[in-house]
Amino acid sequence: MDKRHPSSFQQLEKLGEGTYATVFKGRNGQTGAFVALKEIHLDSEEGTPSTAIREISLMKELKHENIVSLYDVIHTENKLMLVFEYMDKDLKKYMDSYHNPNGGPRGALDAPTIKSFMWQLMKGVAFCHDNRVLHRDLKPQNLLINNQGQLKLADFGLARAFGIPVNTFSNEVVTLWYRAPDVLLGSRTYNTSIDIWSAGCIMAEMFTGRPLFPGTTNEDQLLKIFRLMGTPSERSWPGISQFPEYKTTWPVYATQELRNLLPSVDAAGLGLLGQMLQMRPEMRCSAQQALQHPWFAEFQQREAARAGQQAAFR
Amino acid sequence: MARKTIREASHLVHSTVSSRQLETSASQLDGIPRDLEDSVRYQTTRMMLIAGIFLRLPQELIAQSVVVLQRFWTGADGGSMLDCDAEDVAAATVYLVAKPSRHSISPRQLLTVFAFVRSLRGEYGASASTNPKTLPDWHLSEGSYEQQRDCLYANEAKVLRTLGFNIHVALPYALSINYLQALDVFRTADGALLAKRTFAQLNTALLSPQLLYLTHQPCALATASIYLAAREIGVNLPEIEWWEVFDVGREELGFLVVALRSMDGFVQSEQSKLRGRDVPMTVQALRAEISQ
Repeated sequence: MDKRHPSSFQQLEKLGEGTYATVFKGRNGQTGAFVALKEIHLDSEEGTPSTAIREISLMKELKHENIVSLYDVIHTENKLMLVFEYMDKDLKKYMDSYHNPNGGPRGALDAPTIKSFMWQLMKGVAFCHDNRVLHRDLKPQNLLINNQGQLKLADFGLARAFGIPVNTFSNEVVTLWYRAPDVLLGSRTYNTSIDIWSAGCIMAEMFTGRPLFPGTTNEDQLLKIFRLMGTPSERSWPGISQFPEYKTTWPVYATQELRNLLPSVDAAGLGLLGQMLQMRPEMRCSAQQALQHPWFAEFQQREAARAGQQAAFR
Repeated sequence: MARKTIREASHLVHSTVSSRQLETSASQLDGIPRDLEDSVRYQTTRMMLIAGIFLRLPQELIAQSVVVLQRFWTGADGGSMLDCDAEDVAAATVYLVAKPSRHSISPRQLLTVFAFVRSLRGEYGASASTNPKTLPDWHLSEGSYEQQRDCLYANEAKVLRTLGFNIHVALPYALSINYLQALDVFRTADGALLAKRTFAQLNTALLSPQLLYLTHQPCALATASIYLAAREIGVNLPEIEWWEVFDVGREELGFLVVALRSMDGFVQSEQSKLRGRDVPMTVQALRAEISQ
């Protein structure tokens, strides 16, 4: 798969630029189909970047309808390019350009779209977790949307297959706004629950059109979380004083009701969000549990019906 | 039920090679005799094991490097020992396996340790003695460091390209502990010793010329190692065919036990080949060897 020449793909406009790669829109010279070309910057400091090794070795194994497909890797003497399936935009851009037919705040999506995106997001996350992969960097920019309304997880540069036990992972992961409180507190034994927190933040953001906790620093991020969730204490979170970033000087905030902040969310949706946005990682629901939540009843029924049809054909 | 496919990264299974891929190798096609190839594989693996200890890498990462290197040399479209220096590819494999893990090492650490290990010329027992006077002279100059670093990156890219980035390896270490727990051995006085000997068997198996980690899944390697270790120290395991529970048949178990038992003889013959001479581990040295 890696012996193909770069020229078999026509490079079109630039889609984005990161520290580790530049992404172009491309066209397959033979089929004419659009693809996303992720050109990895090869620097002389570490050889092939660890992010690329991680991303490619994981993406080759993770094949799921809610995870962006890696079609090809083009690896020549001085170039490393990943060929991904083409998606129209990321969730961030999708929200920015969205006009809700029923009005509502700018950037906020309509309820059926949010439910569909959340279902697909949790499907993708559940698949990662079932295969012992943590994404570690879920955010709207890493969720890609196509014109059919499909959502797929992308950018596995920070993802890592986790072993047992999970410990001493670097605590410098996950974009600040979607970072779980246990990671912000300096935990190095985090697990799948960090992706659930991020997914909860993304769900709230789709309803309001604004990030739920737009912190500027580690400390500010924690305080923004406390202002909504209440300042934790040994009583509400036994063992919290043992975290490296624990401070006795935190202002004491009372817990706010999610429904006051998110008036447009129905009771079931608030129930699910409450299970995802738990301060204590062990209290957060798993991706599989989220998929079982009554808020997703219609999707569960559709899936069950489809499974029934398939069984009938066997 | 549809055909069962394995398509996800798993800690229990990984891709193994077909017997067709094992029939030949790029090195053999280039004219390196099979037994010389085995010797190079054996000596480079020993180098990686000892370098891994000096680099304080967890054994699982060292083992993963060994398996990735074995994959690289395997098959007609694998790497050839007459195309790239075996000892340098071994170093590059350790580097690239450690890199995305939480135990990444710098090129300088890696190249320094490999320069030292190379200077021991296979006599690793001596380096374990703490008297530094018995150690050979060695150094890594700044010039050769920079040259070797470029070579390291080139070899790293070559391994990744050849394997199509398939560096996922499922290992039997943690699994064997689960199996020992299931067999309830840790309540006996010999439990810890049995675990230790099981790991020793698994480590020895990395050196096998039969490339057991490429041909067998972790469950089989773990089971065979437990079986042999228990025999070795006289621990009684259940009378029934307990290996069936771990998805290993009698035939596969028998094959692996014989393969592991033959390791003593293989190591002795390799060590006697080593006596008084260096095993060629570079393209140049190998060319000189086969032209004799």
